[in-house]
This record gives sequence, C-alpha cells and structure tokens, in this order.
Amino acid sequence: MRGFAVLLLKEERALFSSPIAYAVMTVFLLIMGYSFTLTLFISHQPSMVHVFFQMFVLFMLTAPLITMRLLAEERKLRTLEVLLTSPVSEAAIVLAKFTASMSLIVMLLLLSGSYPMVLAYFGDPDFGPIYSGYLGLLLFGSALVGTGLLASALTANQVIAALISLSVFLILWIIDNFGWLLPSPADTLVVNLSLAVHFRPFAVGSVYLSDVGFFLSVTLMTLFLTVRALARR
Amino acid sequence: MSPAILAQNVTKWYGPRRAVNDVSFAIEHGEIVGLLGPNGSGKSTIFRMLTGYLVPTSGTIEVDGHDVVAESLAVRRAISYVPEDAPLYDHMRVGEFLHFMAIMKGLRGTAARASVDGAARRLDLTRVMTLQTGKLSRGFRQRVSIAQALLGDPRVLVLDEPTSGLDPNQVIAVRDLVQSLAGSRTVLIASHVLPEIEKIASRVMILLDGTLLTADALREKTGGATLRLSAAAPHDAIRRIVTGIAGVRGMDIDSDGAADIARYLIQVQPRPSLAADILAALVGAGIAVSELTECQLDLERVFLDLTRGSARLAA
Repeated sequence: MRGFAVLLLKEERALFSSPIAYAVMTVFLLIMGYSFTLTLFISHQPSMVHVFFQMFVLFMLTAPLITMRLLAEERKLRTLEVLLTSPVSEAAIVLAKFTASMSLIVMLLLLSGSYPMVLAYFGDPDFGPIYSGYLGLLLFGSALVGTGLLASALTANQVIAALISLSVFLILWIIDNFGWLLPSPADTLVVNLSLAVHFRPFAVGSVYLSDVGFFLSVTLMTLFLTVRALARR
Repeated sequence: MSPAILAQNVTKWYGPRRAVNDVSFAIEHGEIVGLLGPNGSGKSTIFRMLTGYLVPTSGTIEVDGHDVVAESLAVRRAISYVPEDAPLYDHMRVGEFLHFMAIMKGLRGTAARASVDGAARRLDLTRVMTLQTGKLSRGFRQRVSIAQALLGDPRVLVLDEPTSGLDPNQVIAVRDLVQSLAGSRTVLIASHVLPEIEKIASRVMILLDGTLLTADALREKTGGATLRLSAAAPHDAIRRIVTGIAGVRGMDIDSDGAADIARYLIQVQPRPSLAADILAALVGAGIAVSELTECQLDLERVFLDLTRGSARLAA
C-alpha cells in the first residue's frame, strides 16, 4: 500500500510538473467555455446535454495526450527497468498511473462544475441529468484512460501510443453508424461496442446498469491487459 | 543452503534472435563474480532476467532460493540492480529520488532516512542531494544509481558497468565499496574494464554471443600453473625437451624477443623442483636460458584466448 502511495505521489508530480496537464486544462476550459456560452445563448435552456456531448468528444481528443507518456516515456528513458526491478507489484504501478491520470479527468470535471452553477444561479435546471451526465463522463473518462494506458504499455514511442489510443477511440465512437448496416446478430454486437451508444443515456438523464457495466468492463479489462503486458516481458 | 544465484539452462530469444543460449551457473553467498563479454554478448539480458525485468524463454533462475518468474516479488526484495547507463527520473532531486527508491524497497520513516543518508555518504552525494538528477554529470548519475541499489542493504547486488563514466578516483571508491561487501553480500558485476574485474572479482564468467564460455576464468588462472621461459634455440628443440619433462602439460610461443631470444609460456602441473628440472634439461642440452619464472596469466589474455578460440571454432 505504501508502495502504491509513493508511486501515486510520483505520478502526480510528474503529471503536474509537465506542461501537458496545463495545456489540456487550458484548451478544455477555452473550448468548453465558448461552447457552453454559445449553447446557452442559442437555446435559452438551463440544460447541460449539449455540453456533455461536447465534453465527450473533447475527452476523446485529450485523453491520449494525458496517457501517452505514462509507460512509453518510462520505457524510452529506461526508468521502467528501475521501476519493474523494485519490490512493488506491476498492479500497483499500473493503478498508480491510472489514478494519477484520473485525477486530471476529475479536475476537468470539477472545473466544468462552474457551468451548472451558472445555470442554477440564473435558472432552474433539472439536476438529475446533470448528475448522470457527470457520472457518465467519469466512467467514460476511466475507460479512455485505461485504453490509453494499455496503448502506452505497448510502445516506447509516445506519439505512436497517442495515435493508437486516438484511433481506437475514434473507431469506437462511430462504429455504431456502420454497425446498423450489418446483419443480425452482428449489428447488435458491433453497435454495443460504441462509446456514443453507451454514453448517450447518461447525458440525457438515464442510468442503465448495462452502460455502467460497459465502461467499468473496458476499464478493468484494459488495466488487466496493461498489467499482463508489463508482467510478460 | 541454496546458492545466492542459480541459473539452469537459461535461454532468451528476442523474436528470431537468440540473445542468451543455454546458460547455466551458480554463485554462492558472499562471492563477488565478474561477468565479461564483448558488446551484445548477452550480459545485460542475463542481468535483466536475474532481476525479474525479463522472463527467460526457457530455463530457470533462482535468486536466494526464489524462482524469478513464480516468486518475482521475493526475488526483487532480495536483489538490487544498477542498470547500464544509470536511468533516473530526471525531474526528481537526488534526495527525493533516493527517498522514493527507499520507500519502494519497503523502508519506512527513520529507517528510510538513515539508509538514504548512509548511501549518500558512501557515494559522496551529500553535496548534490538538492540538485535535479537530470542536471547531474554522467559520473554523479552513475553514483546515484549505485546509491539507490545499496538502499535496504540487499543480499544480492547486480551491477551492470558500474564504473562507466567515473573518474579514476571514483572508480577506486566504487571498487573499494564492492570489495567491502565481499563475504557478506553476493555481487555480480559486468564490466568492459578487464583489470577492474580482475581486482574486484574472485571469479569471472565469460560470455560470447549469448553462450557462457567459462564460469571459472580466474580460478583456472589462479591455479598458478604457467611458467615464462626466455631462451635462444630453435623452437622445435626447446619444445621437444620441455614437453618431455614430467608435469609439463603444454607450451606456446608467447613472442619472439630481441636477437635470437624467444619467449614461451609453459603450462605445468605444479610440483616441487619442476622449474629446476626444466632449467637443468635445457642447460644440459646446451640451450642458453635467460629467464624462467612463474607468471600469472592476466585476465585479458584468458579473455582474448577464449573469445578468439570460440570465434575460430565458429568459423
């Protein structure tokens, strides 16, 4: 446990001492601030649905930037050799990196919390869909970070790690558009791999166990595969 | 009691390339053993398998009685590793990095602080503790890497080129440090500097193209069974006389000396008065002998003989 704590501290320091975390936060807040204001002025509705969908897309574009260096950089600088020959488990190393990256995702969500506060101040929003939307983004973010971490474990090149995870996200984002064209039962299978299909209900206020299970399964599976990738060298 | 390190028929493939080929050796507790070999001979791969970083393709390795694959964490608790080129976290300060590694090795509170302070003193790092490791010179980086390996007083130390990048004074300090561990800790050390290994190690293993040529180079050498002869006569006459004496196992020309003097190395089975017998036989045959002394074959010669011999066989 102490090994995990010191690894987490190291990862948090590495994350927040690099310019990437601040660049991601700046770009995220600029785009989301503009998007929130524009949506509010056009729709005149105290709703976060459109904002959640835009955050969904922005998360897919920024998550690879957060995760690409996690293991690829350690492999390139050969500090992975120091880490993996120390008496801490591979699971502790992977979990520390995952938790540190999730802290940035949580920080982005907290910073975006100013939008519902503005809505509550000037209007009377329905908080149910807002809570479910944030829950959906948190689960979605964890699936993205898990996938990005796995991509980072497979290469020593950060750019390639980012491209792998970005490609996977984009394919799983639009896969339902193609899935509908397939014959049954392949269509159901492919459509249910879609990130958008599982996120949509959260954004509009519906929480289904199947959607929660999907994002948790992706997270756990990618973390497990990352641990295996580190253990079987 | 099981050996400190026991490798049995270890092979490692990187895709289609075989980096280590059926290597077996045992290192007893308290031994300091050198691992020699040209670049790309598989030294670092062996070290990475010993420390649990790489998994052998086949064969087994035990460290302190624990299997490196099945009981990886137990192995990593027993062993400390100084990788080649001293990889460090460049954004960390020296003190911060050493403290981080101390906690990773299971040390807590005052024990961690005492261990860090002790290692920093031994490696003369106290004046750079607040500097970032990324801003250190090559020699200091190497010393930080060695210091982290000493944290927690590991039973087995594996050092991959530990003196590379160090100035002569630092090399001597590291050599003294390693020698001070003899008897109490097991040390496996790889180096390209042959005299360095010769001074530190009690035994040397030589590796070529992933194959272990010998696990006993220094022991064979310290058998002390070589005489150097300088004499003026045809080679054939000297060879006939010398090899006919009981106890002589073989003879090679070392080099042609000045004028008609030639130097020979005579491998012998030591016995009393052997040198006197050789001298008497040569003088009795009318051969002028200018030198006959017992000599120590240096490690460089053993290394070159073995690696060249192996290369000839391969050709």
